Amino acid sequence: MSRIVGIDLGTTNSLVAYIDAQTKEPKCIPGPYGSTLCPSVVSLDADGSIVVGEAARRRLLTQPERTIYSVKRLMGRGAADVQDELKLFPFRIDPNSRNVIRVQLGDTYFTPPEISAFILRELKSWAEAFLGECVARAVVTVPAYFNDAQRQATKDAGKIAGLEIVRLVNEPTAAALAYGLHEKQRGHVAVYDLGGGTFDISVLKLISTSDGDIYQVLATNGDTHLGGDDIDNLLQALVRESIRKEHGVEISGKPELAQELRKALIAAKHQLSAAAQADIRFPLPNGAIFAMPFSREHFDNLIRPIVDRTMGPVKAALADAHLAPSEIEEVVLVGGTTRTPLIRSTVEEFFGRKPHTELNPDEVVALGAAVQANILERGVSNMLLLDVTPLSLGIETYGGAVSKIIPRNATIPASAQEQYTTGVDNQTGIDIHVLQGERELAKDCRSLARFTLKTAPAPAGLPRIDVKFLIDANGILQVSAKDLRTGEEHSIEVQPSYGIDDTEIERMLEESIEYAEQDFAERQLIEARTESEAILSATEKALGNPQGAELPPEERAAIEASVATLRESVTGSDYKLIRRRIDELNRATERLAELLMNSAVQSALEGRKLAEV
Amino acid sequence: MSTPTQAPVSTDYFAVFSLPRKLWIEMNALEQKFLQLSWKLHPDNFVNAGDAEREASLRRSSELNDAYRTLRDPMDRVEYLLGLEGARREGEQKQQAPPELLEEVFELNESLDELREAKAEGGDLAVLRARLESAEKNFQHQLEQVDGELFATAKQWDATVDAEASGANVHGEREAAKSRLNELLNRRSYIRNLVVNVQKELL
Repeated sequence: MSRIVGIDLGTTNSLVAYIDAQTKEPKCIPGPYGSTLCPSVVSLDADGSIVVGEAARRRLLTQPERTIYSVKRLMGRGAADVQDELKLFPFRIDPNSRNVIRVQLGDTYFTPPEISAFILRELKSWAEAFLGECVARAVVTVPAYFNDAQRQATKDAGKIAGLEIVRLVNEPTAAALAYGLHEKQRGHVAVYDLGGGTFDISVLKLISTSDGDIYQVLATNGDTHLGGDDIDNLLQALVRESIRKEHGVEISGKPELAQELRKALIAAKHQLSAAAQADIRFPLPNGAIFAMPFSREHFDNLIRPIVDRTMGPVKAALADAHLAPSEIEEVVLVGGTTRTPLIRSTVEEFFGRKPHTELNPDEVVALGAAVQANILERGVSNMLLLDVTPLSLGIETYGGAVSKIIPRNATIPASAQEQYTTGVDNQTGIDIHVLQGERELAKDCRSLARFTLKTAPAPAGLPRIDVKFLIDANGILQVSAKDLRTGEEHSIEVQPSYGIDDTEIERMLEESIEYAEQDFAERQLIEARTESEAILSATEKALGNPQGAELPPEERAAIEASVATLRESVTGSDYKLIRRRIDELNRATERLAELLMNSAVQSALEGRKLAEV
Repeated sequence: MSTPTQAPVSTDYFAVFSLPRKLWIEMNALEQKFLQLSWKLHPDNFVNAGDAEREASLRRSSELNDAYRTLRDPMDRVEYLLGLEGARREGEQKQQAPPELLEEVFELNESLDELREAKAEGGDLAVLRARLESAEKNFQHQLEQVDGELFATAKQWDATVDAEASGANVHGEREAAKSRLNELLNRRSYIRNLVVNVQKELL
């Protein structure tokens, strides 16, 4: 079977990893800029093409209204859910959005799965370029505390990107896999994963059996809206207030300036991970410079409420696993935000042991995803992962109460069966409302799906329909029903409350292929422009050399004409034209290159182009 | 919304682990068997397999997990056994107060009301709290008693299973054990709810 890669689709950065055939070790794949981190930023160019990653991140400063970051925060959520986020993030949401949000980039609207699909497609292309083969299957990680709708949205993103997601793996579990392989850990392990936008805590038991190693998740907890972004937002609020007070300058309502400030503050935050003091310096549009010394102590006090918020889920997960902090043998830190010293010391103090940080916290989840991908690819393995569902599954009963049918932390796949009948004579439909969450009332839980069981008219209480609710190994709900009187299997049309239906996904897939073609053109254009810059500057340099002066005037004029036409073509977006002009200039400068080479190390350089000399 | 009628029993969770329907289970052996079956049945092994095999793996591994989850917990195990033996219906635990507890429950509810009132109007909470704490202790104690009786009755049930396996006719004892278990389970869940409610108010 074809290769399966591992992908960490993160809030801030995304990565793709594979298993090296020689070393059998997982490795992250670098992108065109040499880094393995692909910023989870997507930008829509004025000409309609899509830019992803580092190039898009740079556009946050120049074209913030065409660029989006942290879209993971919006996955699987409805318009009503994200009002709080909108106060802090410059998301421009379609005012007509209801159950599926649409975000505006320039003058076009996209759903969060479509934007995530652009990121997946980018990573797919990194992997294909690096491995030299077509990549069509992936294991993708999600926060352990993601609910059904958020998982479904991630799977949809894969479909739109033309990538089959063979398994969704929980991020802390993936990290445990990578560490287990690396450190040969055994016993009870706690994984504390604080990323850009999400927090997870998972408690695992690592068991050696005669068949191999089992990674059994005992309990998981978390907060899908808690992360480094929240630290950035606190810093922003603090500094904006100071700027307003000291300089009378208002930052909000100025997207470019806000992004500049965000960038400066993130840099200061990173600085404070290593140093006791950072100096925030920020030039203001009125020419003044805002300067503020910022100590680690001040920073710690600022972010303590956020760190404290993570400890509630930590305690809850331990309680569910029936373990005391002292019974945890290993603690693993995952996610870039765990570089923060206050987090390290808080976790260390709570568990009474030094946490593992040996593996790069940015890469470890992707590495674990590659390990799981390899297990699935081979079908048989000496490693087995037993994960759990983070939230209880329930159904609404009379009076808006919820009856729990699969408890949280149940090992998945897990199922529950319920039998339904009618309450009045000749009733032809029974409404079922499926929910996820720990609260007792339906209105406080997350609505997953509503559907109607159809029955033939009969006296009340006579129909008997068995409904099977199954949470699969991805943590996604499947429902099937069987009429016990007729033996008929019902296929249930489950309309996800916060999902996109299949025809929509089809349309998005088609559109994304169009974008992919534009992506290709965009990439070609960038490369052609870079190449022309190199040859233009080399030509100019050569013409100014003493050897350049030896050139006959008509050749010199020909070169100058070629330079002018190439310069002109670079301003356009036709990469084929630029390539032709580059070739022309190369031909026009052949003689000049020869002259230069004669004067230099003649023998070694013969036959090379001017830009290479 | 409609209420589920009866929990349908499609598989015998005891049979999944090749166990007799006895209430005393050796937990280590159960875990070992669970892990061993997980290796065989987990969907991770069937990603490249055909639809039918994948479907079967999903069904059987979810059944295994459901069975392990249920049998691992002593109370869930009793409740499941009674359902399997046709001695219990879904929703039965939402019972009225056992007659012998009526007076205590009445007093407790009164104290709870008074505490809520005092909280709302800013009255003196210390006395009421103390009263509720002692009531909680009392019900906790009763819970322990019920657990003790459950344990003893479970042993009786297991004895009937063994006796039946060796050919004895213990139908009467069997039915008696079942109905006693059912009664105790209802009593337990009733008291447990009381304790939870008191704890919520005392938080």
